[in-house]
Amino acid sequence: MTTSDTPVGTLASRAGAAFAAYQSGDRERLSELVDLVTPILWHTVRAQRVGYDQSEDIVQTILLRLVHHAETIDDPRAVLAWLIVTAKRESWRIVRDSRRVQPLPDYEEADATPETTVDGPETAALASLEGRVLWHHVEALSERCRSLLRVVAFSDRPDYAVVAEALGMPVGSIGPTRGRCLAKLRLLLDSDPHWGTS
Amino acid sequence: MNDATPELDLLAQAPIDDLDVEALGVLRSLYERNDPVPRGLVERVKFAITLDDLEAEVARLQRDAVPGGLPELVSRSDELLKARSVTFTSDTVTTMVTITPVDAEAVRLDGWAAPGAYLDVELRVGDTSRHVVADEDGRFVFERVEHGLAQLILRPAEESDGGHAVITPAIEL
Repeated sequence: MTTSDTPVGTLASRAGAAFAAYQSGDRERLSELVDLVTPILWHTVRAQRVGYDQSEDIVQTILLRLVHHAETIDDPRAVLAWLIVTAKRESWRIVRDSRRVQPLPDYEEADATPETTVDGPETAALASLEGRVLWHHVEALSERCRSLLRVVAFSDRPDYAVVAEALGMPVGSIGPTRGRCLAKLRLLLDSDPHWGTS
Repeated sequence: MNDATPELDLLAQAPIDDLDVEALGVLRSLYERNDPVPRGLVERVKFAITLDDLEAEVARLQRDAVPGGLPELVSRSDELLKARSVTFTSDTVTTMVTITPVDAEAVRLDGWAAPGAYLDVELRVGDTSRHVVADEDGRFVFERVEHGLAQLILRPAEESDGGHAVITPAIEL
């Protein structure tokens, strides 16, 4: 098996290369994989409205699960998709179970999502003008689209289709087309004179 | 309101361009600032994997003056201790470590494990790893260690019969 040792390429391909190396015995490369994928996994889980502490647990759980199932993943290039699918399923399970039993004591607070806090005075003061303009339009999207774009934003352009499909929202085409969620955002931005002209 | 306008369809089927990438970049930085990956999460995940991998025995951190009681096994990063003298206990071995500043960048780490004769002692700081072998009394020294999150992994000497590795929680040097 040949894998590239150089950190080039997209998130999906770098994660795939690190995982392939790990599978073929280079145990140290797992650390690199964890560095690469933790941000996108964190945001995948948080986008499903999982509380803060539980989100940490889920990220840890699915990476441990990857280690346990490392031999069963035939195509190492698919490791990012595998992780995102697993993260989303696990998040849904947690959210469903916690609703069935009872709201966690700190559920409401722990669940404060960016939807409710990004407009807080602190963030608003820190955010650039373009950040505030963008957020205004992102808030107008459905939650489903918002969570998709949140995760997609943590990948690289050639990976968008893979990420969208892993989230169960395939953009339905070969090649990196926008898909409906990004197209909606783009429509809104294109008609906003405050959005950058660069 | 019906979303399915021809304009939207066209946009949806068109390739992603640089303006889309720019918008997603701004979105990413908003989420990075507003809901960042928790400090120390990556280290905790790696620690959990290492544990799992080694099937190691886990030492507990003992320290008399720990604010708020003993830290969790996989402690939250903000509770990590600026250790000076630290004792780890597990079912099979007790390890004491004394940390002395050498200069602004580094510390010296003097350790003693009991029973610890000829243990292989691995010190991991970040992604670096180094080994020493304890002497016949179980003493070991790392002369110069850069600051960071550190973990010790103690393995039985190769000739000894059986036994398993012992791993300590991360401490901040």
